[in-house]
Amino acid sequence: MILAPIVCIVFFTSLMSKGLPTDMPAAVADEDDTPITRKLVRVLDVMEMADVSKKYHTFGEAHKAMRQGEIYAFFYIPKGTTAEAISSRQPKVSFYTNDAYLVPGNLLMKDMKMTGELIPLALTREKLRAVGLPEKEMMAWLQPIQIEAHPIGNPTLDYNVYLSNMVVPGIFILLILLTTVYTIGSEWKNKTQKTWYAMADLSVAIALGAKLLPQTLLYIMQWWLMDYWFFIHHGFPCQCGIGTMMLIGVLTVLASQGFGVLLFGIQAGMMRVAMCICSLWGILSFSLAGFTYPVTDMHPILQGLSVWFPLRHYYLIYVNQALDGFSIRYVLPSVCWLIAFCASPLLVHYRYRTAFLKYEYLP
Amino acid sequence: MKKILYIFYHELTDILHDLGIMIFIFFVPLVYPLLYSWVYTNEIVREVPAVVVDESGTARSREFISKVDATPDVRIVARCRSMEEAKQWVMAHEAYGIYKIPRNFALDIWQHKQTTVGCYCDMSSMLYYKGLYLAATDVSLDMNRDIKIERLGSMTERDKEITQMPVEYEHVKLYNPSSGFASFLIPPVLMLILQQTLLLGIGMQMGRTRERWNGFIIPFKRQYKNPIYIVIGKAMVYLGIYLVMGIYAFTCVNRWFSLPVLGDYLTFLAFLVPYLLACIFFAMTLSAFIYRREDCILIFVFLSVPLLFLSGLSWPSSAMPSFWKVVSSVFPSTYGMNGYVRITTMGCSLSDIRTEYLALWLQVAVYLTTASLMYRSHILKMVEKTTR
Repeated sequence: MILAPIVCIVFFTSLMSKGLPTDMPAAVADEDDTPITRKLVRVLDVMEMADVSKKYHTFGEAHKAMRQGEIYAFFYIPKGTTAEAISSRQPKVSFYTNDAYLVPGNLLMKDMKMTGELIPLALTREKLRAVGLPEKEMMAWLQPIQIEAHPIGNPTLDYNVYLSNMVVPGIFILLILLTTVYTIGSEWKNKTQKTWYAMADLSVAIALGAKLLPQTLLYIMQWWLMDYWFFIHHGFPCQCGIGTMMLIGVLTVLASQGFGVLLFGIQAGMMRVAMCICSLWGILSFSLAGFTYPVTDMHPILQGLSVWFPLRHYYLIYVNQALDGFSIRYVLPSVCWLIAFCASPLLVHYRYRTAFLKYEYLP
Repeated sequence: MKKILYIFYHELTDILHDLGIMIFIFFVPLVYPLLYSWVYTNEIVREVPAVVVDESGTARSREFISKVDATPDVRIVARCRSMEEAKQWVMAHEAYGIYKIPRNFALDIWQHKQTTVGCYCDMSSMLYYKGLYLAATDVSLDMNRDIKIERLGSMTERDKEITQMPVEYEHVKLYNPSSGFASFLIPPVLMLILQQTLLLGIGMQMGRTRERWNGFIIPFKRQYKNPIYIVIGKAMVYLGIYLVMGIYAFTCVNRWFSLPVLGDYLTFLAFLVPYLLACIFFAMTLSAFIYRREDCILIFVFLSVPLLFLSGLSWPSSAMPSFWKVVSSVFPSTYGMNGYVRITTMGCSLSDIRTEYLALWLQVAVYLTTASLMYRSHILKMVEKTTR
């Protein structure tokens, strides 16, 4: 309970400490092998993402290397490319990426697309020089329209910022749900629920509140530690200031606890089923939060379902506040949902009372 | 042999009497793959909403906008007068990107100067960024080619084509032609589910035994004496059930959601057996730490997400610190997920995935030993306690 969240914080931030994976193994299958293609190979090696250290002489060899997982992508230059290029017969070069591994595949594609553009440009440049164009105007010739990307809030496309910021809170929420149900359920399992109830003067609210308060404090402390680790130690973008994120953290911890109490209340007495549901719910929330694959492109039923996941609301608020720094009123519905989760145990208040008095632990 | 069969039968009936274990080893492996595939079944993000700030307002800039709008990735939802107005759309999450076309866009092109289009992306999801940026890049490359030809003036048709593209290039996305999200994520998740549910199932059964037999991990039965027999008898139960689950994932789930399958059925089976065995013995070894039935849910469930990242499938292993690589080699899922993806998605043979295949057999041997040793030491302790 204490160890797991901290290990997770360190695990994810150190795993992705590089931010954007660079120098991923790639190769060239150069069947032509002329001075021009060798020059091209050198150009390829300066690409940021790829480490074109391997060189093969046939397509088959490169393909085999890819199947064995040695490389993620390769450039294929067929025989006769140079000859065709010089005689203006429009040769064709190809690049192959392994998209079964999506992140490397995508990142390498971007680099290779650029290089693929550069090869013909290099040849056009020779032609333009012959026409007598000054070097200064060359770029305007080669690339009249240029696209400048401005990734708002995460200018370096840092995957650490993108993923850690969501995955770690997701694990927190999962653990909070599980421990909440576990601690409440253990009372029934150890048959101490009646004493506990008596101790709280027959008040469900006092019993639950007092039971969960130490955990609330512990998780809030850990959440703040996470905020510190992310936004101050690692310097992740945080437009709204760390104080706001800490407040949101408190709200999320309470909401998850409330949700856990709600789930156990619905299952009153059936601790194991409640824990199963919590784990399924918690794991599913990584998908339905929508940070990997956007919720807007999912099936409408799933879109409706996604509001029942606390992580989804945390995600929306986080993007709005920390990443973009917009006004909170745009995510007011999510804030309300989180508050509703905090209050949700009220719905099952009466079930707890019956559970205390009647239900026994079912093995 | 008889004893093994007895243990097999006893363990099987034991499982069938526990609803909690049944949920994890039957319900989850059957239903969760379907649920997951459903979530990602659209595979790719199409028509990301975006707005345009067109300060140029010329035919050229309108051409750019309509071309971007025509790409499958982006949909232009509004044309705004200022960046402030465009920002409102992004804040309300009605658009995820802004294209800003500068005032002298067309003028620059006429004057042979380079002009820059700004592409502002909301970074809440990398897929939005990818769609918005790639659409703009593709359109700009396309327009650049035409502009070049206009400038060069009189030429034959073929000359034009060659000036446009002196060297043609193509991009071949192997194994996952549409860069789909489901085709990438579901195959490894199928394997991860097998391992995680085995950990949970075996762990819960251990908790159940401990609770029923006063903290001892095996029942007081004369057949339960030889640790090897116990391990083999138990493993047979789970292996039987999980072979079915594995085949179900490989055949049914892959077909229903038309995920890429290039793999050979027999290769898959030959791979599945060591993977399942490694998972089972691994789970038995770990189950020594489980004292109550519900403990294992607490311990194993949250591991799923880190394990997915450790496998090197989502985060490339070449960018992983070596310490975590060593940690990842402890878990069968690392090799299981990689091997499975290579077999089904990439159509590899066993010789292509030799490293993973051997590593799994090595894990089988190691974890078989540790599981047997665990039972042996426990039996010795039991004997000591009962004779005292």
